[in-house]
Amino acid sequence: MNEVAEPGNAGSQTDNIFEREALADEPTIADAIRAVIFDRLSTKIAAVLVVVFIITAVFAPTLAPYDPLSQSILNINKHPSWEHWLGTDQFGRDVMSRMIYGSRNSLIFGLLSPIFAAILGVTLGVTAGYFGGIVDRLISRVVDMLMAFPELLLAILIAAALGGSFWNIVVVLTIAFTPGFARVARASTLAVKQEPYVEAAIAAGVSTPVIIIRHIIPNILAPIVVLMTLWAASSIRVEATLSFLGIGTQPPNPSWGNIIRDGLANMFATQWPILAGGLTITVVVLAISILGDSVRDALDPETNQ
Amino acid sequence: MSKPLLEIRDLNVSFGTKDKPLCVVNDVSFSINPGEAIGVVGESGSGKSMTALSILQLVPTPPARVTGQVYFDGKDLLQLSNSELTSIRGKEIGFIFQEPMSSLNPVMTIGDQIDEAIMLHTDLSADARRVKVLELLRLVGMPDPETRIDVYPDQFSGGMRQRVVIAIAMACNPKLLIADEPTTALDVTIQAQVLDMMLDIRKQYNSAIMLITHDLGVVAEFCERVIVMYAGHILEDADINSLFASPKHPYTQGLLKSVLTLTEKQHRLYQIQGSVPPPGTIKEGCPFRPRCPVRMDRCAVEMPPMKSYGPTHVAACWATAEGVE
Repeated sequence: MNEVAEPGNAGSQTDNIFEREALADEPTIADAIRAVIFDRLSTKIAAVLVVVFIITAVFAPTLAPYDPLSQSILNINKHPSWEHWLGTDQFGRDVMSRMIYGSRNSLIFGLLSPIFAAILGVTLGVTAGYFGGIVDRLISRVVDMLMAFPELLLAILIAAALGGSFWNIVVVLTIAFTPGFARVARASTLAVKQEPYVEAAIAAGVSTPVIIIRHIIPNILAPIVVLMTLWAASSIRVEATLSFLGIGTQPPNPSWGNIIRDGLANMFATQWPILAGGLTITVVVLAISILGDSVRDALDPETNQ
Repeated sequence: MSKPLLEIRDLNVSFGTKDKPLCVVNDVSFSINPGEAIGVVGESGSGKSMTALSILQLVPTPPARVTGQVYFDGKDLLQLSNSELTSIRGKEIGFIFQEPMSSLNPVMTIGDQIDEAIMLHTDLSADARRVKVLELLRLVGMPDPETRIDVYPDQFSGGMRQRVVIAIAMACNPKLLIADEPTTALDVTIQAQVLDMMLDIRKQYNSAIMLITHDLGVVAEFCERVIVMYAGHILEDADINSLFASPKHPYTQGLLKSVLTLTEKQHRLYQIQGSVPPPGTIKEGCPFRPRCPVRMDRCAVEMPPMKSYGPTHVAACWATAEGVE
């Protein structure tokens, strides 16, 4: 019994070797994500599509063959040709260029609104979950109220009231997505709050704000990240819907939603704007959703096996 | 006799409503001197952990109600606000929990977790703190601390994690270390290692220790004084020699009898019949009465007072007091 009391003697050395092996075998989160991406064909394709989408959006000015806003009375309603791969619309604008610039719009909304919604939702959810009592009841009831509206209806309501400027759409989407984040964050916080390491941190004299930031939030982040990827897809879809309805991105600025809207009015002259817009939205939203599902599978220990 | 480091007076912890309170800790009073190691023993549900948790106000109130006084260095800890307590928790009083597998944050490296306590309670620079963390890891017998400092808890076994937990508790050289069953969740060989390591630390740092356990062997090896708790009451409080030599309370006697000995031939282990009554079922009298082999009529009516059986030995039993052994 006494011989093992000293650190660094023979007993601890054998211990050491076993622990080393355990260290080497331990898969990291990056490994898990890599495994999921490269194991499934659907995820591989989705990942490639998402990368293409992001590159297109970032390098839109270089990639677009024409100015998306320049009109040409001589070139209206053209079908696809080598000059205009997707033809032109009723103002003679190049549809391909408008689609490429529209991807910027989608990427920005797809990134910004889930991030803002996550920040707001996690703040509300963690506050409700950690403090409980009257604070919890207040926040939860407000969240329930927002939750009772379908997100699209809520977005349309707010957008109709505020109008369709860039920041208004961000605000609209953020408000529409916040309740989901708040619910998930609250539920996870309730679970993590019970963990002995939180009690241990309190016993070590850690103050409440530090406990929330260092011990609660990092431990509830996995479901939040998954939710963010899934709602990146949703916000692209909802932004396109709002633009289609005329309360999102305002013409002449290109957005996939208002390309379809313009195309619909002009459907019998050229079908290509509708086809291009509709297919692109479908493909991009599907790709991001598949990627989000894969990330969820990677982070969920039960499906990971 | 020096002034006690920790003095608990009439501590009561109860749950439930005002009209129907369920008391889990009843009128507990004891004190711990600087540098002293005391063991608190008792079955599950005897209020040991609740007593320890309420010292640092770690019992959530509500639903619990905590009354009484807990003097530590002249301050009543139960009267302090949360922010005043954070300067005592972890700095003056270290706390070791029972569950090493879950009392470390899975997403922080162990170095960061030990560092957290040092960062909170000292003004050391980041480099100085890292040196201190390495020193602590060496103190708790962690092999190869330079590599282990940046490792996450899931890469450790239970024994190693408990060493980290002890390192966190010892980070600021606390005057009092409360260890709530620190070795219960570990297997026997690791238990011995961890206890030896704690004994070493105690010698080096001279902290007072309150060790909560239900293992009398651990107490015998580690402590100078023992408090026996049952159903929220202290039944006996004695120095280790006199308790093991002549236990005064029938409950303590029963506990000692039910320890397995290797020297005598035993066919069946001794057993105290029955189990700890759920809180709230015993309203008056001695809580051990239903299971007591020497119970008397008086036991049903009145809780026996603490009676002294020597300079450092008190017990609460009518039968013993009257000499009926």
